[in-house]
Amino acid sequence: MPRTRAEVDATLQAAKLRAAELLPTALSLRFGPGAACCLLELEPALCRRLEAGSSLVIRGEKDEQAVLCSSDKTYELKVADTSNLLLCVPGCKTPAQLAQEEEAPDLMHAEIFGFSNNYWELRRCRPKLQKLRKLLKENTYEGPDSPKEMDSNRSKYTTEDLLDVIQASEEEIMAHLQVLNACEIGGYWRILEFDYEMKLLNHVTQLVDSESWSFSKVPLSICLQELGPLEPEEMIEHCLKCYGRKYVDDGEVYFELSADKICRTTAQMLLQNAVKFNLAEFQVVWQQSVPEGMATSLDQLKGLALVDRHSRPEIIFLLKADDLPEGNQERFNALFSLREKWTEEDIAPYIQDLCGEKQTIGALLTKYSRSSMQNGVKVYNSRRPIS
Amino acid sequence: MVQIVISSAGAEGLAEWVLMELQGEIEARYSTGLAGNLLGDLHYTTEGIPVLIVGHHILYGKIIHLEKPFAVLIKHTPGEQDCDELGHDPGTTRYLVTALIKDKILFKTRPKPIITNVPKKV
Repeated sequence: MPRTRAEVDATLQAAKLRAAELLPTALSLRFGPGAACCLLELEPALCRRLEAGSSLVIRGEKDEQAVLCSSDKTYELKVADTSNLLLCVPGCKTPAQLAQEEEAPDLMHAEIFGFSNNYWELRRCRPKLQKLRKLLKENTYEGPDSPKEMDSNRSKYTTEDLLDVIQASEEEIMAHLQVLNACEIGGYWRILEFDYEMKLLNHVTQLVDSESWSFSKVPLSICLQELGPLEPEEMIEHCLKCYGRKYVDDGEVYFELSADKICRTTAQMLLQNAVKFNLAEFQVVWQQSVPEGMATSLDQLKGLALVDRHSRPEIIFLLKADDLPEGNQERFNALFSLREKWTEEDIAPYIQDLCGEKQTIGALLTKYSRSSMQNGVKVYNSRRPIS
Repeated sequence: MVQIVISSAGAEGLAEWVLMELQGEIEARYSTGLAGNLLGDLHYTTEGIPVLIVGHHILYGKIIHLEKPFAVLIKHTPGEQDCDELGHDPGTTRYLVTALIKDKILFKTRPKPIITNVPKKV
């Protein structure tokens, strides 16, 4: 039986409330059949996107903490409990909404759709991308003739496959595929085996040398023509893209090759063959190994190699930021077990990617390390003993 | 491997609902469940203060415009016919955005009892 205005008025009288002090419209609230519903708290930007018709996606495997992704951002998804009762009421009006109604009735009926004592809370987080590299590393590309390409049991991932297993938004995944120098081959995302990448790069640098081109103006068409018989054209173009910037001049496509990137890869090739390298010797060999006209500098090796200035002789060794754990605490533990005290300059390349939207390296160091002065230089060490 | 899509039903604008927040819990009198039962009457004073009368209690609240709105989601599990309307794979769970909530009415003060029968002094 729907409630009548007379009943509402009788209740008002019993409650000693004067109708004159109330707005003319009353709302009678009744519980509906009780649908199971979830409340998702949104930041205003996400809300606008939903209103515009975009969708959101929850991603994660069964053993992972769920994340929610928009097309370009990733959020941690957590259930927040409250001791209050949250009622979702369609058809309930606020006084402002009532004021807009032309002829508001004296009694409206609203049915409570559902209720809950928790809601889903979102917190912006870094995309979890380390798994992407790990998956692609399982089956690197070594060229079309490699026996690996004949083996159909080897893992390969399409964009859709990656969206299923990587906890990041599509845009973040795509951007990271570029960082990894991944290449879409036959519809699958692959990263090149390092030796194969070096082989391609050598072909290119040798061609540049023999043609006496400038590294800032390498014509695509001649590269493909000259190197096509050696390697697939897509691979040559991919190599040029990874190591250069594409531009068009007078209708012709050129690449401006980056000396920094080429020097860095050359250093990686030299360093990965040794546990550690005498720094002075390394610098000589490195300079001799890069194409003529390129200048090597230790600045090119940030996040790739680390110099130990305290050992005698000074040494350099490979330490890739990519290989370190993804979590903040785990990352710092790994770094402090490698080296007890770090200068900010040395540690920065290895924690740079941990910085959130508004978080700086300084803030991370304050949170996860303790600083002290050593011979007039500020150094950072672990807050707790490293086992 | 899981991807659960959260999307709205169609191009038409999403309905806007109101969230009502009450302290504690509401229980039905004879533990019959709340479905179908009356919660109470909601009034607004001329100043716009919400007044809720639940049984023998009056609650005064306030209206809060939510800085972070809520989306009301309903879970659709495989097996329901309407799952593939939008061309989604009907075999997967997904959530449908049913409404958005941008205002809430919060009742956080202690309910005031309504005293109807004051016994006369003898």
